[in-house]
Amino acid sequence: MSGINQDVATNAPSQDNEQVTGDVKIHYITYGSEKESSWLPAIRQLISKDLSEPYSIYVYRYFLYQWGDLCFMALDDQDNLVGVIVCKLEPHRGGPMRGYIAMLATRSGYRGRGIATELVRMAVDKMIAKDADEIALETEVDNIPSLRIYENLGFLRTKRLHRYYLNGNTAFRLILYLKPGIPYKVTYPPEYPYPEGDGSTPHQQGPLDEDLIQRQAAQLDIQDIHDQRFNLIARSDDFT
Amino acid sequence: MVLIDHDADTSIAATRLEREARSAMSYAGPKIRDVTGEFDAAAKQLPPGRLVKDEYFTLFEAVGALEIMDPKMDSGFVPEDDTAEPEFDVCRGLLPTEVLWIMDQLLGLLIGWHDGYPLSQTVFTSLHVDRLLSPDNRRPYNLHFGSSVSTGVSDTEQVIHLVLRAYCLALVKSCALVLHTIQLQNFYEEEDFVTHLFGRELLHGLSAEDALGSIGEAMNWLPTSDIQKDVRDALSARLDFIWTYVSLLTNDLNDWHDLTDVLDTIKATHHLAPPIPEAFSDKVQRQLASSTPPRPMMQVSWDLACQKWREMCEDTVAAGRLTTEDICQSPQSLQRAIWAFAYRDPPPNTYARAYLQTILFGAERLGENTSFFDLLLVDIRDLVLAGDPLANPDNFLIEVPSDPRHQSARIMEVFMDKVFDEYMNFFRMVCQNRCRIRRTFTQSIGVLDSLEAVAVQTDADLDAITPMRNGDVLLCPMTCWVRYQKLQIMIWTIQLGIETDVYLPHELSLMYWLLSWILERKLSLITHSEVFLVWRMSEANGMRDTRVVAECLSSQDYLRSLRTQVEAERSLSIALWQLFTVLTAVKAIKPLKQDYARELLLYEARMKSYLGLTQDPIPPLSEYKAARSALGSVQEVCGTTTAMTKQAKSHLAELKKMTPHQARYVGTEEQFKREVKQMETTCVAIAVQTSQLLRLSVHQAEMGSATSEEKLGIEATVPAPGSRYHDWWVVPQIKSTK
Ligand SMILES: CC(C)(COP(=O)(O)OP(=O)(O)OC[C@H]1O[C@@H](n2cnc3c(N)ncnc32)[C@H](O)[C@@H]1OP(=O)(O)O)[C@@H](O)C(=O)NCCC(=O)NCCS
Repeated sequence: MSGINQDVATNAPSQDNEQVTGDVKIHYITYGSEKESSWLPAIRQLISKDLSEPYSIYVYRYFLYQWGDLCFMALDDQDNLVGVIVCKLEPHRGGPMRGYIAMLATRSGYRGRGIATELVRMAVDKMIAKDADEIALETEVDNIPSLRIYENLGFLRTKRLHRYYLNGNTAFRLILYLKPGIPYKVTYPPEYPYPEGDGSTPHQQGPLDEDLIQRQAAQLDIQDIHDQRFNLIARSDDFT
Repeated sequence: MVLIDHDADTSIAATRLEREARSAMSYAGPKIRDVTGEFDAAAKQLPPGRLVKDEYFTLFEAVGALEIMDPKMDSGFVPEDDTAEPEFDVCRGLLPTEVLWIMDQLLGLLIGWHDGYPLSQTVFTSLHVDRLLSPDNRRPYNLHFGSSVSTGVSDTEQVIHLVLRAYCLALVKSCALVLHTIQLQNFYEEEDFVTHLFGRELLHGLSAEDALGSIGEAMNWLPTSDIQKDVRDALSARLDFIWTYVSLLTNDLNDWHDLTDVLDTIKATHHLAPPIPEAFSDKVQRQLASSTPPRPMMQVSWDLACQKWREMCEDTVAAGRLTTEDICQSPQSLQRAIWAFAYRDPPPNTYARAYLQTILFGAERLGENTSFFDLLLVDIRDLVLAGDPLANPDNFLIEVPSDPRHQSARIMEVFMDKVFDEYMNFFRMVCQNRCRIRRTFTQSIGVLDSLEAVAVQTDADLDAITPMRNGDVLLCPMTCWVRYQKLQIMIWTIQLGIETDVYLPHELSLMYWLLSWILERKLSLITHSEVFLVWRMSEANGMRDTRVVAECLSSQDYLRSLRTQVEAERSLSIALWQLFTVLTAVKAIKPLKQDYARELLLYEARMKSYLGLTQDPIPPLSEYKAARSALGSVQEVCGTTTAMTKQAKSHLAELKKMTPHQARYVGTEEQFKREVKQMETTCVAIAVQTSQLLRLSVHQAEMGSATSEEKLGIEATVPAPGSRYHDWWVVPQIKSTK
């Protein structure tokens, strides 16, 4: 789009904490399939504000390069970035097509106006259009605004994840089913480097859930890199 | 780092492996070549943001990537006004009081590690420890290793090189011992505890005994020094602490109270120690092998640290107390004991939980003469086979193949082998953190369901040898037993879900409804078992075998205690599901918009863990909806709720009268009493809230302010976990909004 926004994002962080009052016209756009849009620095800056530790540029690229169509941005009337959502969509362990909301943030002065809700709606709609079976995400147990947004839209808490984030905070996993019969879909475990053996995985038949895998991983004393360390979203300082 | 490879094709992975292998082999003689120019040129050929990756580059790699020279990511980054290395000479003599402070600081960092912080943010930030762990340092691990400073003999130098060094050596060895214990048991890396050593070894060449020997030397030297007596005693107390701690970890001592005793002395002299923060630095992280960004050193609060030490000691003592011979002989008492341990407040740390697991699973046998296999047999016998020769341990010793007792015993044995691992998990999983208990139990449900199918076959095989019927009714002991366990696990998953706040207020109606459904099934299993027991007892009485009679009577007591407890829980869950349903109906509990949700899909998401059951599946959504719409008016529901709480109370009153042996709560008498009390209070609270609801609805109907039942002007709030009478039983708080 334009290079201006990039500058705004880097040059004017001080405006950020002031609550914006009155009518603000917000419009929404897709990040799209451009390989690296000029929005990236602004997105990065907006999201890293609420993280205790920053993500490297590769984390953003990982999502935006592959799923740019699932990233939506909210802009004010001067095209400043005020909100963003970053997602992915791929089969979950060979089973259901799972959408995953990785990052969501609204610039602090613009919160409470329904911006994030709208961004989530756009992402969910797009995932539905792309034939997603379910959508998952994690959020801190005390991030009330975030829980409100998702739960109002129909997400359910399915698991509590003890000390999930790097800062030691506990999370809920939330899920939204988009099609019937998802729990009956068979999934396969990720390929762990099992220490010994024939390469087959020591599981019972039937649907597998990540807990079972994690339990086995723990028993095998191998680091559960595939799930545990995806401590991706919102290590938010705002609500702790 | 993202691979930039221009002949990007499927052979990338192979190329990478080859390259890595080559670089590993050529490690002996590194040839350094400046590739900046080449790299720049190559990078310019790509548009910004172009992600060149092979299929093995996952989100995990992306998250693990660091940006060089970003101060928040690159632990090697040195700001202009700072130095790369901490400027502190660890060989320098210090005031004995300063050494006291370092020791206390280390004590705080050590318990911080127990609490889940990595060593890089705790113990390893001590520059003295860092020097001892330096990769080039070797036995006898001196501080002055590698430096030209020679050790003097002044007190200020001895107190470093003799006292502090010995303390550090022992402390590091304690970490090795703790890791050993924890890593042999179940725990969850990072969420419970961080075992990562960041490329360091914990004094490989030194044994715990060696470290204790150094402590001894330091202890001997102290009285010969000119250090002021109070400071000398304080130093000695700290040496004593670490000595005691290591001895407990090596099992040379076993009363953890010894440690709390020393802790009191230490606490009393902490004020003598002036802070010397420069003896610690997070700059040590620059030398540690890690892909995590630099992280600040843990901040120690001395009082909190002491409290946590005390808690760990008490938890460890409790672990011993909850696994006495008496308790371990009864599977049900032992289960209660492990739950009691898990529910200590605050929850025991990872070491204490590993300590308990070591007692339980560290050896073949529990205590002198019980194995888990024995426990399993007792469990089965107590629930479904008391007085039946089938569960007589002697049968398992008969070797005559034609003897039907031998045949039955073999069938039993095969079955017990199959359920054994899952049975062990009932005990082991309760030693995990609360979230994990629920999640691993959720997994267990499916496993138990398939075991139930196996049990059906086992029962048929057993019945073919010795029929077990009462009239037309088959006993099906194994099926009953497995199903009972499955139902119990299902109950726990729901209750733990309630405790960990997984369900929103408007979901509680459904969850308590399901709970009451499960409890109903559990009750009918108990009844089934009781009927057979009575039938068996009438036969056993004829035989006058006192052992059999005693076994039957004991099981009868146990079944009665189960019935009473289940009845109480069932009454409570009926009261609550109806109460929550009516509160949701009158909009006292606000429904959510849930725009994207569909009723059936919500049900599937919520019931995921229970949906796949093939044996005795849970009812479909339609059944819940039918039950919901069959509920009467607010007044009628209030009537049921009141009646149900009355019932629950009388069952609880009956339960209280049962002895620890009858109801199998040996060793957890106090916890049992407390829990019954909490449930009684819950009953009272439900009754109070019900009458409040009744009063408000009648009042508002009279005032004509309620145009329809849907708008009574009532609001119900749900107390958060931790502020309930019992975390498993949520009593809504009802008030008027008018
Ligand atoms: C979470 C976040 C994205 C919400 O952005 P937003 O644009 O303010 O969200 P919305 O206005 O759409 O909705 C917020 C909801 O929370 C409520 N809310 C907002 N601020 C709140 C507060 N401080 N306390 C309680 N509720 C609050 C709003 O009322 C609204 O709920 P409602 O629809 O029932 O009224 C924003 O707070 C943020 O950027 N936080 C930091 C990053 C983060 O936590 N991301 C989420 C992790 S996935």
